[in-house]
Amino acid sequence: MNVTSSTVDTITLIEATGSIDSKTAPDFERTALTAIQGQSEVIIDLTNVDFLSSAGLRVLLMIYRQVKAKNGKVVLVGTSEEIQDIMANTGFLAFFSLAETLDEGLTILKTA
Amino acid sequence: MERKTFPGTLDSLADIRQVAKEEAQRVGLSKKAAYNLMLAIDEIATNIIVHGYEEAGRSGSVDVVTEVADGQLILTLEDDATPFDPLQRDLPGEETFTQPLEERPIGGMGIYLTINGIDEFRYEFVNNRNRNIFISRIGEK
Repeated sequence: MNVTSSTVDTITLIEATGSIDSKTAPDFERTALTAIQGQSEVIIDLTNVDFLSSAGLRVLLMIYRQVKAKNGKVVLVGTSEEIQDIMANTGFLAFFSLAETLDEGLTILKTA
Repeated sequence: MERKTFPGTLDSLADIRQVAKEEAQRVGLSKKAAYNLMLAIDEIATNIIVHGYEEAGRSGSVDVVTEVADGQLILTLEDDATPFDPLQRDLPGEETFTQPLEERPIGGMGIYLTINGIDEFRYEFVNNRNRNIFISRIGEK
């Protein structure tokens, strides 16, 4: 797993690649939570994430809570069908906005 | 029956998932069933490694045993940690998953995903080993 963060205009973009499991989730957590500090517009790009376990869901939950405390919004980009199913089954899906592409995700935040 | 042995560390998770993925593809499980099996195996293997070995200050292996019988793919995780039946812990109920994310408790999600993602999950303690058994019916969606 690899994770990077960057800023596009006022939006914080976090991109992960690979598998997010109990081995790799701490890296994802550290990078993401540092990057979103004080931010209210956040995109998590999961286009290249092929696996996300409950350890990864836990990090998404922490991201959501931190951004929500700023009355912000978290958009997930490129979430695979399988991961979307898991998020639906655990009631996670309703709390995030979903976009298929990064452009679409940026549009959602800019017009919010 | 085929047995593969992995060190009981988090570094092994990717390899353990890979066994599940390859077996699922070999017997022709759907993409969704294959993913849910990988997830179930990952969640239980994580519990074994983190709670059974690391937190208990023990070390040991995690074996993945593969068997195809009666139209079922049967994967079994075996370990030498203290007896632990995942089915004995309280599972989060429906009400947990309708709570706002700000308020909901965070534990128990892995075992919930395990049980709900595959056709049958069983636990046994045999010959001083934990056996977590994952059953997927072949030829179904």
